Amino acid sequence: MDNSLQPVARKTGLVIQETADEVLVYDLNTNKAHCLNQTAAKVWMACDGKTSVGDIAASFGKGSNEDLVWLAIDQLSENDLLESQLTAKFAGQSRRDVIKKIGLASVVAIPVIASLVAPQDALAAQSCRCSNPNQCIGPNVSCPATTCNSVGLCAP
Amino acid sequence: MNISASHYTFCFESYGVGVRLSSNSAEILETAVDAARSALLGTLSEVSCDKCEQDMFLDLEDDGTLRVIQNGAEMLSDKPGPKYWAYFDSLIRLLVADFAPELVFIHSGVVGWKGKAIVLPGNSFYGKTTLVAELVKCGARYYSDEYAIIDQHGLVHPFARPLSMRTSVAPIREDPVQIESLGGMRGTTPIPISHVLFTKFDAEAVANYEFITPGRGLMEMLNFTIGPRRNAEYRIKVLKNAFTGAIIVESPRADAAKFARNFLEFVDNTAI
Repeated sequence: MDNSLQPVARKTGLVIQETADEVLVYDLNTNKAHCLNQTAAKVWMACDGKTSVGDIAASFGKGSNEDLVWLAIDQLSENDLLESQLTAKFAGQSRRDVIKKIGLASVVAIPVIASLVAPQDALAAQSCRCSNPNQCIGPNVSCPATTCNSVGLCAP
Repeated sequence: MNISASHYTFCFESYGVGVRLSSNSAEILETAVDAARSALLGTLSEVSCDKCEQDMFLDLEDDGTLRVIQNGAEMLSDKPGPKYWAYFDSLIRLLVADFAPELVFIHSGVVGWKGKAIVLPGNSFYGKTTLVAELVKCGARYYSDEYAIIDQHGLVHPFARPLSMRTSVAPIREDPVQIESLGGMRGTTPIPISHVLFTKFDAEAVANYEFITPGRGLMEMLNFTIGPRRNAEYRIKVLKNAFTGAIIVESPRADAAKFARNFLEFVDNTAI
């Protein structure tokens, strides 16, 4: 992998909220929310198009290496948080193998990005939401009907 | 109530949302207005219809079928009865919660404890109401068993409707219970949040509090936020304001009474 590459974080169409150590990113295009842990957040913030992968790794100090940064970049790219797709190739190893290897040696936390898709509409949060009629029947179902209507509700 | 050639109309504003309720039947409109007052705990005031962006039309057909058309989309179509109006109640509340311009509604139980709010996010059948009731019996103030209503300053406002209790005898029907009948008191003023508990009923569970980071907590909150996709930037900012500094944990829970006592002890031990 080319450690001289200078990745660029995507900033358009995103809502970004920083907490003490993490960054919450909400993608307005996909309605997906991503929580970047401290390491992933630091890598993402460093992706300014002028800083190389090697330099980003160096910024973590002793005990880090470029694989750690590439792990972050891999996940950032997968979640469409970079301007251009970048796929890390870890010399034939799987991401899991790399995590194990880094985890044992690193004092820096493994980069993690947790994601979820925001619910579609207010009624989606109700228990009466359905995608098939079977979901409208049962002892725990308290909805106006036992049929799943055209808007995906257990309602007439 | 306004009357046009074919419609009866009542326009109101609640939590900053203007709603036009109309029907081709005066009687149905009257029932709908009563249902709206009940759904919104009386927090509505009649306004001029030109201030209303949200529209609900109740179309009574000749065969007695009543259709509810919300902003052009058909939401219900059946003969009206208690269950019908209960669902209409939900529709009104969700409509207001979804479109409230300056408040963020989270599907959540809320109690006040020593001047701060404990927020219990959860959807239907998570056991929120049961746990809220037990917390109130332990001396917490009742804020809501349905919504945490959060303002731009991060404060939680009360939405203290009667508790909708499900029992082992009536697991489907929700019986409204006034908090005072449990010996409880209502919270009346907006308060900041000290703790958030993500929990769900599990008969086999043992309480085990796992701390959740602020970023993860904020993200998980979106699962329970009403209409998170609408004005997402503002909603996320409000949530961050509200939950910064709060202790966020998750734990399953079995017996609600035992868990409530245990959890309030945890809150006291971790209060900042």
